[in-house]
Amino acid sequence: MQGQQDQDAMGMGSMIREVQELAEKFKVEEDENYVSPYAQLEKATVLQEARIFHDPTAVRENPRKCCTVIAQLLHLQNTGQYMSSTEATEVFFGVTKLFMSDDASLRRMVYLFIKDVAETCNPDDVIIVTSCLTKDMTCDVDLYRGNALRVLVRIVDVAMLGAIERYVKQAIVDSSGQVSSSALVSASHLFASSPECAAVVRRWISEVQEASSSPNEMVQFHAMQLLYQIKSHDKLGISKLVSQFSTRNTLRSPLALVLLVRYTAKLLNDEYADGRNMNDGSPVSKQGYQFLEASLRHKSELVVYEAARAICNLDGIEPQDLSPAISVLQLFLSSPKPATRYAAMRTLATVANTQPRVVSKCNEDLEALIGDSNRSIATLAITTLLKTGSENSIDRLLKQISAFLTEIADEFKITVVRSLQKLCLTYPAKHRVLVGFMSNFLREEGGFDFKKSIVSSIISLIRQVPETTESSLLHLCEFIEDCEFTRLSTEILHLLGELGPKTAAPARYIRFIYNRVILENAAVRAAAVSALSKFAAQCPSLRASIMVLLKRSLIDEDDETRDRAAISVSILEDAMEAYPYVPPPEDAEAEDIPPDVPAQGDTAAYILLESMPMTFEKLERSMAAYMKTPMSMDTPDPISFGSLPIVEDTAEEIAAAMSTESGLDAEINGLEAAPKKKEVVDPAAVVYAIPELASLGRAFRSSLPVMLTESETEYVVQCTKHIFQNHVVLQFSVQNTIEDQRLDNVTVLIDDSESEIFSASGEIATEGIKYGESKNCFTVLERNADAPLTSSTFTCELRFTVVQVDPATGEAEGDTFEEEYPLEDLQITTSDFMAKVTVPDFRKAWETAGNANEVLEKFALQFKKMEDAITSVVDFLGMQPCDGTGSIKPNAAGKPHMLHLSGVFVSGQQVLARAQIAMQGDNGAGVILKIAVRSDDETVSRMVADCIQ
Amino acid sequence: MLPPLLPKIDAILVLGSDGDRLAGKYYGDFLKATDDHPNAEESRTNFEKEVQQKIGGVIARPDAAEVVMVQGKTVVFCGGSSQGAGGDIRVVHVGPSNESELVLAHLCEGMYDALSQLMGGTTERTMVLDNLELVFLLIDEHCDGGIILETDGSKLAGAVLLRDDDGMHDPRAQAMGGGGHPQTQGMPAGVSTGDMTLGQAFRQARDQFFSGGM
Repeated sequence: MQGQQDQDAMGMGSMIREVQELAEKFKVEEDENYVSPYAQLEKATVLQEARIFHDPTAVRENPRKCCTVIAQLLHLQNTGQYMSSTEATEVFFGVTKLFMSDDASLRRMVYLFIKDVAETCNPDDVIIVTSCLTKDMTCDVDLYRGNALRVLVRIVDVAMLGAIERYVKQAIVDSSGQVSSSALVSASHLFASSPECAAVVRRWISEVQEASSSPNEMVQFHAMQLLYQIKSHDKLGISKLVSQFSTRNTLRSPLALVLLVRYTAKLLNDEYADGRNMNDGSPVSKQGYQFLEASLRHKSELVVYEAARAICNLDGIEPQDLSPAISVLQLFLSSPKPATRYAAMRTLATVANTQPRVVSKCNEDLEALIGDSNRSIATLAITTLLKTGSENSIDRLLKQISAFLTEIADEFKITVVRSLQKLCLTYPAKHRVLVGFMSNFLREEGGFDFKKSIVSSIISLIRQVPETTESSLLHLCEFIEDCEFTRLSTEILHLLGELGPKTAAPARYIRFIYNRVILENAAVRAAAVSALSKFAAQCPSLRASIMVLLKRSLIDEDDETRDRAAISVSILEDAMEAYPYVPPPEDAEAEDIPPDVPAQGDTAAYILLESMPMTFEKLERSMAAYMKTPMSMDTPDPISFGSLPIVEDTAEEIAAAMSTESGLDAEINGLEAAPKKKEVVDPAAVVYAIPELASLGRAFRSSLPVMLTESETEYVVQCTKHIFQNHVVLQFSVQNTIEDQRLDNVTVLIDDSESEIFSASGEIATEGIKYGESKNCFTVLERNADAPLTSSTFTCELRFTVVQVDPATGEAEGDTFEEEYPLEDLQITTSDFMAKVTVPDFRKAWETAGNANEVLEKFALQFKKMEDAITSVVDFLGMQPCDGTGSIKPNAAGKPHMLHLSGVFVSGQQVLARAQIAMQGDNGAGVILKIAVRSDDETVSRMVADCIQ
Repeated sequence: MLPPLLPKIDAILVLGSDGDRLAGKYYGDFLKATDDHPNAEESRTNFEKEVQQKIGGVIARPDAAEVVMVQGKTVVFCGGSSQGAGGDIRVVHVGPSNESELVLAHLCEGMYDALSQLMGGTTERTMVLDNLELVFLLIDEHCDGGIILETDGSKLAGAVLLRDDDGMHDPRAQAMGGGGHPQTQGMPAGVSTGDMTLGQAFRQARDQFFSGGM
């Protein structure tokens, strides 16, 4: 049957070809005059031509002409010359006249036109073709039935759907594959269009079931898809559907099988998310995996690839279960079809992210792909190799890449650079080769983004692998000698000023920097002057010579450069006078030479080198908070960093510290990450506004609001905890959702009888909460500062007077009565007293704190996943993760995770914590947490360590 | 990244060798005109320009579609050889990035096959441009609102051609043209007579001749 069809098609094709060659001959003779009916169409002309539709004789006699005009109209739409709504409607009415003709090809074009234009026209106008379409849909011509149905579902609404439902159901089980497919696809569209239509489609399930066993492949595919759509919210139904089709083995269509594989994989992942997997003997999972594995041996590549990809993407799959899928993908790598190679390569690259060892057996095939003509495949192969390769294959790989890198587009190069950076993190010993390799490409041609990605990679490697510092700095120095991008030059100069003075031979960088002062534009000169000043400040031995250089910039034509030079010169001159540099005697032994560092109390070092204790943005926030605090502006004390309020990191900063992208990508995007300015509102401002509470002073921090009711109850209450030095102010935001009530004298009663730490010392009620409004009432708890903090739970109750009001006018009418409304318990934990504040340099801060007041603890916690454990530990302590340790590094699966946390306690002590979290056993039985807490006060350290629950 | 459970195509394009759109259809929300970007045409042209930048000069065999990524979409195409007058067209399928490249390639190869059958074995730009109505019909038979209807090249070409004809009730034509096709069972009756393939072919020639002569 198939063969015969092919032959027929061939016969048809060859015949057309012959005739077309004939036409071709005519064409050659009149080539100059020949114009394609679709070349240079003018909308106005075509619209004019479209009037032919209104002429019944022309329509009857020349349907071919009508077809051409419709095609021309469609072509206009296709090339962006859209008709206006009025034009479309007018043409549309003309087209409806064409239903008069019985010409099949014309009818087909009419269908196509209606579908294309239906959206542009007024829906009320489109409705008029419904009856014509319905008639076509019920006639005995296959060709009309399927197509009319496909047009019809574009324009019907639920009401009309009811009228044609019977015909659609018949069409689904029609003996013609085309009609059946059309009906099923139309039903799919209807199902997605509105819930009402979906409800109707659901009623056709038995017809769809029947269609799914059709011998026609496409019908199987469409029925499968619709069945899944209908059952998508019925988990059991899906499970049945999948097992039924995977065991019965009736599906012939590769596309339908592809769908079945996807559904099976989804089912397995859902099972896993519910805590069941195939090793536990869940029958669904076991059967599913068997089906996937069997599909790896299907004769169609489509199905094989889909199954392999599904297996690779299964959650919680063991490496040994992956290997059959990897073997299949490995075979695909040498396929003659680019799409097959590409698909296999992409999947392997994803697997290599998490399981490089499993993929490493494909290394040979991957290396062969570096020369692939499809550059995307080649790039993927390289980046994958960089993940799976071993340390001693790096040199060989780099050789292969360097030939490749020169001939590909920048976007691929950037991908490669990122992989190189990751590789260097994995094998720090190879840093010299890798950084050298990247630096070579700094000197090659390339756009800003490419250069930027290299510079960012080198800089972040300096931070993470300190051994690379000296060689990298020299590479960067050479780069700025010939760098056309001001932003990169200034960034590098800043880095040189920061790191250069601390290297073994700082003097060697001076020449590079001073060259910039002579040769560059204003922005770079200013950066260079700043860098020079830092060298001078840090290395007294260089001060005299740098002074000479700096003084030359005093006559620079750029204001900024001149100012910077002037400040540095003046500061350095003072310092040189106060602490003159005494060079060590010429014959001194190497070990006798004192380190070249500024003397204690050196003003130049202090001014030019010490960083601010907080960022400018934080300083601004802190000042704003200071000014808002009651009475602070009246005190005679001068402002110092010590007297400024402690400000917590903003929600965005916290989110950034917790996000998985923090490390690498943030570094890479760092250059262009524009500061997102957002007005930070001090949540404690509402408290300061209450005169009675002014005496409490400044709020230390405020927690995020906690719901004390469900969000759909009559009265919605949420609580914000404001922590003061010796008090806690609880702010209850009460919302009234009852239309005919007004709430007066609203307070929240806190049961403090069980707490030894807190006692309720005052309440501030709120009056007149109308329908839909929310207002705040306050309860003040006094804290016994001597008792150590522990987590305390309070029962709360909302108390108020209900005033019945007329919903329309808001006037009080009728009775008032007292009412009590129980709320959920409120918890005050130690973490509420901890401000999330990052330290700029955790390692240094940790060592400065010392282990005098260190508290060590070990806990076993019931967490199945590392991520959950980390988030919870951070929550328990209420501290801020530092150095990007708030998330797991992408390829560190299985290894213990080290979490660095910092914060400031209510008493003003800085608290630091290092927590090691390790999975216990392989089967997710729990995690082991080892935590060390340091602060100035042992009781504080103890309290913090006890926060772990 | 899990594959879509309800596979949909984002766009089907027929591009000339220098990237001009001969025919194209965008489905669903992909590059659709929204309130923020009322000018969908502009973003579509830009998208096609980017596509052309990546695929220009690359020739994909009819049975081995090539793959590139453009704007986060998987773009699969067939064709593009520079032989013949005006060069060869490319059939381009655009799908979401989590769609299997093999599935997209399968669709693309099917449509390319159908197109070359319809154009009498060639996929030259001029020939395609002259027979755009067949291309429109082909796209419609191939994909409905983003959901794939039919992928087999011969079936697609058959569907487009049979439809295009006036009638099939002549038994001779059935034997010659599409004998055994399920589609032939219910062709419209009582319309004009004529051999399907010949009628079709001659009309094409005639039309071209006339329009060329005028």
